[in-house]
Amino acid sequence: MQSTQTKPNGPVAASFLAAGIGSLVLGILVVLNELGGDISKFLAFDKNYGLGSGVGPLSGKAILAVLAFVISWVVLHFMWRGKEVNFGRVFSLALILVAAGFILTFPPVFDIFAPKAA
Amino acid sequence: MQLSDRELWALIHGMGLGALFLLAFGGGIAGVWSLREKYVTTEGLAERTPRLLVGTTVMAIVAWLTVIVGTWIVYPWYRAAAPAGTTDLTKFPKALLVSSPDTAGWHNFGMEWKEHVAFLAPLLATAVAFATLYYGAQLVHRGEIRRAILVFFTLAFAAAGVAGLFGALITKAAPVA
Repeated sequence: MQSTQTKPNGPVAASFLAAGIGSLVLGILVVLNELGGDISKFLAFDKNYGLGSGVGPLSGKAILAVLAFVISWVVLHFMWRGKEVNFGRVFSLALILVAAGFILTFPPVFDIFAPKAA
Repeated sequence: MQLSDRELWALIHGMGLGALFLLAFGGGIAGVWSLREKYVTTEGLAERTPRLLVGTTVMAIVAWLTVIVGTWIVYPWYRAAAPAGTTDLTKFPKALLVSSPDTAGWHNFGMEWKEHVAFLAPLLATAVAFATLYYGAQLVHRGEIRRAILVFFTLAFAAAGVAGLFGALITKAAPVA
């Protein structure tokens, strides 16, 4: 008979929630970029930091979303390492964040925030 | 019969890496779904677990490579601004698409959605790969984790599917050449 003892779920919960955080940050950055102005200029990491010539603001949006994913994963991993957490609750939260990411990266949604031509 | 550098990279991005991710999804989802105590013997578990670990890890790596190649190699060619006075826009796909109301939607909706939603796929696929690597054969005893993997895996496929579909349609309307 196989043992049904398993490892604690904390590290896996951390990775799922971090993916949700990365998705939400991407969605928020897409909306902020639509607002234009200084934020949009800041997100042009290709011009500002030489990260990918010609990529435009997508470079900043992508890099910051990935950084949010990695940093939140590391932090959550160390918080929940060796612990059994309420996975259902964490996963539900992660799903909400991912859904928000999907919604905010949908053009008819983020276009709402674009300045209207006079 | 030849391909330019740009066409080759677009091919690697879409038909190579992107298609590999989408095609591997079926095998991956079936592997995770069937990883239940009532379906697998101890020997069966030992046989299929390494394949699942390699499969989900490769899929996560492929998802990252797809968006990296797409964003930092192909996309700058797509969005390059045409010099003032240019009449032949075939080398400037974005400019070509937005130059006509009949094709502007391919950029304003299709590319704008694709370039962003595609990044959700590697985030989700990485969480899936980590969960699979972390638990390995123990996944058979963790139904809630297995179900979460299936949901994230499906969402990653949906994100990659949208990106892949619009990538193919946009390439048909205005190829990166």
